[in-house]
Amino acid sequence: MKNVRPLARRLFPALTVLTAALVLAGCSSPADSAPESGTDAGTPVIGGTMVYASGDAEPTCLDPHVGGNYPQALVASQFLETLYTKDAEGKLIPWLAEDSTVSEDGLTHTLTLRDGISFTDGTALDAAAVKANFEHLLDPKTSSSTGYLALGKIDSMKATETNTLELKLKTPDNSLLESFSMPWVAIESPTALKRSQEENCAAPVGTGPFKVESWKKQEAVNLIRNEDYVRPVADPNHEGTAYLDAITWRFIPEAATRYAALQAGEVQIIDNAQPDTIAAAAKNQAIEHLDAPRPGASNRIELNSSKAPFNDSKVREAFIHAVNVDAGIDSLFFGTAPRSHSPLSSVEPLGFSAPSLFDYDPTKAAELLDAAGWDERDGQGYRVKDGTRLSLTFPVSTSQSVPAEQSLFEQLQATAKESGIEIKINLLDLSSWYGKLAKNDYNLVSAPYTKVGPSVLSVLFHSDSTIPAPSGYFANLSQVKDPALDALLDTAGSTLDTAERQEKYAQAQKLVLEGHYLLPLYDQQNHFLYSSELLNVGATTAVASPVFFDTWLAK
Amino acid sequence: MSAPKPELSPGDPVLVRHRTQITARLPLFLAAAVLAFFILAACFPTLLAPYDPLAINPTDAFSGPGTAHLLGTDESGRDIYSRIIHGARPSLLIGAAATAIGLGLALLLGTIAGFGGRWLDFGVGRILEVLFALPGLLLALVFIALAGPGVGTTVVAVGLTTAPGYARMIRAQIIALRTSAMVEAATVLGRSRTKILFTHILPNALAPIAVLGTLGLGQAVVWAASLSFLGLGAPPPTPEWGAMLSAGRTYLAIGWWMTFFPGLAIVLVAAASTVLSRALKTGGER
Repeated sequence: MKNVRPLARRLFPALTVLTAALVLAGCSSPADSAPESGTDAGTPVIGGTMVYASGDAEPTCLDPHVGGNYPQALVASQFLETLYTKDAEGKLIPWLAEDSTVSEDGLTHTLTLRDGISFTDGTALDAAAVKANFEHLLDPKTSSSTGYLALGKIDSMKATETNTLELKLKTPDNSLLESFSMPWVAIESPTALKRSQEENCAAPVGTGPFKVESWKKQEAVNLIRNEDYVRPVADPNHEGTAYLDAITWRFIPEAATRYAALQAGEVQIIDNAQPDTIAAAAKNQAIEHLDAPRPGASNRIELNSSKAPFNDSKVREAFIHAVNVDAGIDSLFFGTAPRSHSPLSSVEPLGFSAPSLFDYDPTKAAELLDAAGWDERDGQGYRVKDGTRLSLTFPVSTSQSVPAEQSLFEQLQATAKESGIEIKINLLDLSSWYGKLAKNDYNLVSAPYTKVGPSVLSVLFHSDSTIPAPSGYFANLSQVKDPALDALLDTAGSTLDTAERQEKYAQAQKLVLEGHYLLPLYDQQNHFLYSSELLNVGATTAVASPVFFDTWLAK
Repeated sequence: MSAPKPELSPGDPVLVRHRTQITARLPLFLAAAVLAFFILAACFPTLLAPYDPLAINPTDAFSGPGTAHLLGTDESGRDIYSRIIHGARPSLLIGAAATAIGLGLALLLGTIAGFGGRWLDFGVGRILEVLFALPGLLLALVFIALAGPGVGTTVVAVGLTTAPGYARMIRAQIIALRTSAMVEAATVLGRSRTKILFTHILPNALAPIAVLGTLGLGQAVVWAASLSFLGLGAPPPTPEWGAMLSAGRTYLAIGWWMTFFPGLAIVLVAAASTVLSRALKTGGER
């Protein structure tokens, strides 16, 4: 070790300069830092059509303001842009916005917009356009859910100058800029928004590097290059428009068929890549892998604390120690999904992790269950208390849980049985699954939630979130109602002091983890496989949806 | 007579006939053996299965067929062979129960239509036509959508779906018997209609129904597997063939055995019951 030090010391200044240079180069935009694969592939080729195959259900509306789910975000990231975004280091940077300031009381946000940017229908981007978008999102007729929630704190807005928008908030909201980075709050042409919802759903108009040419339902969305594209943040390595002529956005729900189409060269990139195919693709020179975990919450199982048996924290803790999560993840995910011990995604800088709480420890589970009064056994070996079997209902949405995850749940079911806990897995379509949640007919549930920033914690664990929205859905599925937690989340969400924000969010996460309200599994999986003919794939939006401005197709 | 037995040469017509009989009957024997095996598996699964069908072993997942696991393991390290053996019971039981419901319902409708007079025949005929207008699987799916998924629902759904086809055949059979000389004679002798139905018509209609039932068993097993494949049958971790097929399909690229063997079990049962029902039919005609 002694020999190393002087060398390190000698190298230190050189390293500092180099790091500074790299950081500066990387700061300007997310697309600047090209991914490891394909960086040395030579001069970009202009032209060609890339075929994208999505495993998600085809959206019913291409405007992510309407409803607001991830499949919409994926496709809309090609033709819509957001006010803010995240750079390659995960730092929030202004995009369509130039800057923003917030008043000392946190109630007035002033947003300045960039000059010289137009929508693909020729309308100019200005404060009035952004105002029209926010009004569109907040209009109940738009039936936005994700974007609507993100803008919920806005009380009123006024375009004070051509490029300046002043927002008055009901209560301070320090996650507003993070919310602005989500495609569900992307900015569309106000002229286009005036059309009927049906027309706007079919071809939303944005400022992105591509635009919607046509949408043949049940077949494909055809996107073509925006020839007048002006990148809000200049990229010294890539001036002008996108390299690809067009993108054909197809939907192939069957995972094996989708992978086969990629292998056959029929498509160049697929999403929702399954763990076994990712492992197989790793051995294939012609296929590359992009792993882009989604921000917001981790994938986790929520324990419904509102009713027996999980109204007893001992039983919740016992359940967490009774199931062997790690063994299942290792065998089913082929190393593609590292275990999470946090309510937040690993890409969230404010995530708090507590691995020691999540050991697989059947002995401890047995002690806890005995102490909680579940000390008798029935004929099938399940634990019983006062004549009731320790049985947990677990509705699983087949459209939200991939097959590997469903198999993981089956393995948890098998290990829980050894501790005398019965889990009844109920495979359901999405609407029946929502029905079970609305009727409080569940003890365990796994529901993904994507949002930029730690404010997702308020959505998932604040007692306000146990109150169902008009649609009947509520996001606080573990049904935590803790005034101390509410206070922490309220302060964390409104303070303008970043240190306080970090501290309060960490305390809030510690509280829900130590309260045994959830069992974190892994990040929300977001894997893409693509042909090695496709170069410069890797730039993503703040919600980890890929952007193909820099991508080109080698012929 | 104590004449010495004549030596049979390989080309002797007696032997050839005997051999052709065996060759002709070979499929029948095989079919019977396959069904007997699966019925045995359904009744006494622990006798045939070396492992617990629900015992997971993540470290052993995705092992191919071999000495440790005859037909390999699935994504959770469960033994495929043991799961197929244990899956025989739900699969066959669903098939048998669904066939029983279908045939029972068909017998009722067919008898009403065939024996109840012109108006009843007309009424039942129209109902059957409406049911026929909907594709079978769709009818089953509609029923499951209304009643919710599960084993019981699957049984009723498949039974309901197969009933119209049987009902038509039974109706035709009863009409043929009603106009037969035997029934005319009984009518002339002054027997009551009920008595004629139960002593002459139904017993004679039963033989073809047995054939239909055997044929229907295979079909119902396939239908039940299809519904389980869609996730509408038995909940996990029940080892049901259709559900196994569906789970294995995801891993087709890395573990063909997870899909192939449950599929083979379904094909074998369906083929065996078809062969058997054909043999019964020709036997009945002889």
